[in-house]
Amino acid sequence: MTALRTGIAQFCTLAVCGVLLGAFYEQFAGTVLPCPLCMLQRMAMVLCAAGPAWILALSLRRRVGPDDYARGYGASVLGAVLGAAVSARQVLLHIEPGDPGYGEAVLGLHLYTWAFVVFVVVLLVSGLHLMLAMPAKEERLPWQGASRVVVLVLLAITALNAVLVFALAGFHAYLPDDPTGYRLFEDLGWSTPSE
Amino acid sequence: MAALIFVLLTAMLVAMWKGKDGLATILFLISLVAVALLFNHHVTDSLGLSL
Repeated sequence: MTALRTGIAQFCTLAVCGVLLGAFYEQFAGTVLPCPLCMLQRMAMVLCAAGPAWILALSLRRRVGPDDYARGYGASVLGAVLGAAVSARQVLLHIEPGDPGYGEAVLGLHLYTWAFVVFVVVLLVSGLHLMLAMPAKEERLPWQGASRVVVLVLLAITALNAVLVFALAGFHAYLPDDPTGYRLFEDLGWSTPSE
Repeated sequence: MAALIFVLLTAMLVAMWKGKDGLATILFLISLVAVALLFNHHVTDSLGLSL
């Protein structure tokens, strides 16, 4: 059961990292840049992944107990509720019949719809874990090397997001509703403003 | 603002990695509130209600 709990925490963190990497792929290989609501959903995903990553980070230093699991998955629930609200808002913005939606569809659904699905799954997994899989006492988690890598991957993806958002927003306070280019490079004169 | 929140999130993960659990908790809550406020700004801005 200890191995299962570790595996779930590692899988949850990596799954969210995979979604964030997919968003990077869409940003660079697709035709549209992420809008402000897309960025808010990325932030909420990092908050969701921070919960299980917290448990893994704790397990590198000491035994983890029920209170650590409660804190980690509680954090995931908070992030998922916020993220679900943001993605539901974006789904509702494009719900009118005939609206093409924002960006390209992936497997028939737009990224914000997939994001809503991800946040609901995070809520379900976190709730089920808190209800059914809490340990009775403190335990030492296995696979510490893998846990170390998983936490560092999340850290690297989050830092990369900070750089990308800064490139998108430049020295402006907010992202434009429909971004057409990287405003930092436009502000610095390294590229011409697009339309 | 968005870049600043990602910097906060990165700092939170670094605090977790370094074992500063109290600081990580504070940064998590600040990030959560900051994301909520930015969401509120984007929702109300289109209605002309944003501060």
